[in-house]
Amino acid sequence: MSVETGIRFQNIVKAFGPKRVLNGVSFDVHKGEVFFIIGASGVGKSVLIKHLVGLLYPDEGEIWLDGEEISKFDEVRMGPVRKKCAMVFQHSTLFDSMTCAENVALPLRKHKGLTLKESVAEAKRRLHVVHMQEFGDRYPPELGDGMRKRVAIARALTLEPEYVLFDEPTTSLDPVSARRVDKLIRELSDTLGVTSIVVSHDLSSIFTIADRIVMLYKGHVRLLGTRDDFKHTPDGVVNQFINGRAQGPMDL
Amino acid sequence: MPEDAIPRHTQVFAAAGTAFLRVATTAGGMGILLFRILARFFPPRIDGGEIWKNLYKMGVKSLPIVAITALFTGAIMVVQAATIVKRYSAEGLLGWGAGFGTLREIAPLLTALMISGRVGANNTAELGTMVVTEQLDALRVLAIDPIGFLIVPRFVSIVATLFMMTLFADALALFGAAHTGKALLNVDPVTFYNGFTAGLLDFGDVANGLTKSVVFGVVIGLASCHFGLATTGGAPGVGRAVNAQVVASAAGIFVLDYVTSFILG
Ligand SMILES: Nc1ncnc2c1ncn2[C@@H]1O[C@H](COP(=O)(O)OP(=O)(O)OP(=O)(O)O)[C@@H](O)[C@H]1O
Ligand SMILES: [Mg+2]
Repeated sequence: MSVETGIRFQNIVKAFGPKRVLNGVSFDVHKGEVFFIIGASGVGKSVLIKHLVGLLYPDEGEIWLDGEEISKFDEVRMGPVRKKCAMVFQHSTLFDSMTCAENVALPLRKHKGLTLKESVAEAKRRLHVVHMQEFGDRYPPELGDGMRKRVAIARALTLEPEYVLFDEPTTSLDPVSARRVDKLIRELSDTLGVTSIVVSHDLSSIFTIADRIVMLYKGHVRLLGTRDDFKHTPDGVVNQFINGRAQGPMDL
Repeated sequence: MPEDAIPRHTQVFAAAGTAFLRVATTAGGMGILLFRILARFFPPRIDGGEIWKNLYKMGVKSLPIVAITALFTGAIMVVQAATIVKRYSAEGLLGWGAGFGTLREIAPLLTALMISGRVGANNTAELGTMVVTEQLDALRVLAIDPIGFLIVPRFVSIVATLFMMTLFADALALFGAAHTGKALLNVDPVTFYNGFTAGLLDFGDVANGLTKSVVFGVVIGLASCHFGLATTGGAPGVGRAVNAQVVASAAGIFVLDYVTSFILG
């Protein structure tokens, strides 16, 4: 099977003030794969994926999505990119003033021309996918982190995106819900050909559903490869990280 | 000695310069925001549902507080006029005296300050919280324009709310004044109402006050949206934004009150 490049990061440099968070990051993500980004806290995983949807712009480097260089797009040109590339935020970021169903309904109403009633009905159907159907009429602040995250996943999937960026989708979920989310991500890829980029610290997600993994370390790509490449690498830093050892060569 | 004086002067100038720059930045930011709001009207890209939701939240829910303020404002006008009215037995002029100041000045001004405190502060806090919790970014990622979806409905609702509340306050303040006149000075409400329909007051006075209310509404709408959107730094940042909104709105209202009074004559 030939691989088609969906997303390409090329020499991305991003600094906040004097602090260079990303210092020349390059890798490709293939169409239809489940691609994991791992790395220590604060290494810039969230920062990196925010570049794909125009929430941040790189200081240097290029970002290619389906053969288009998007890193200099303005808000208007970002619109279509954002419709095809959905994002689940690390902290869910549901709209607090709307019920869970209204949250999921909003993109349907704004982009699919549904009325409020139709969109809420459709949203409740979508909440089934993440097992949150009973919570459609509740407001996000009343729910736990794990539940909010699942609603956020449902909201991100409403526009049938080709790419989905998951920022720690299983963090703060119970093990059962976490494995369900893993299964959902895998199925999106296998049945609909959706490309997923998943930022995660969840070792069991990583080693069950990842097609390929990239590890970021000190602003650079440390290792890019399959699950097997990661399991058998001689690199002490990667080893320490994926085995979660307190002692080792890694400095944080 | 002069060496000592120079740095102190420099400091004063530096402080004045900084303050001036800050005011200019805020005014500039509000000007740009106004431009972006107006741009959403041509062609209209505004969320109608959000306008109704905000009108209810801002307008309907403000009625009780505006009603109380207006009734007592009218009463206060009469209490203040009472000594003069009694001394000169000018009962017939009570309606004019209370009505003139109320319609042209007091009702629009006090209503604007009430709405700034209740609606403007609330709006800034809500927008600021949305900014610091990334809810605004979440909107953008869903390819929804935050100006068309969040800001324009709020701005329109604030201007409309203040306009309607001023009209409502005009009526209630005069009602309060008429009945205070009866209770305090035994001026019949009919005499009172005749006092301002007998040609001394006309629709121009009402229009004058309502024009001001639109100007104040624009000030509150712009300030509350601007400071909300410019929030940084978590919960303390939201507090600072609300504070800045209240101060800027009040200052803007008084300055523009003077300017519009002057222009409208
Ligand atoms: N808007 C911003 N302004 C300034 N600094 C920022 C901003 N966003 C991120 N940073 C900094 O960039 C660095 C990387 O942040 P990022 O959130 O990407 O880390 P992360 O890899 O996602 O970590 P975690 O696993 O904890 O989520 C951090 O040191 C953070 O302080
Ligand atoms: Mg992160």
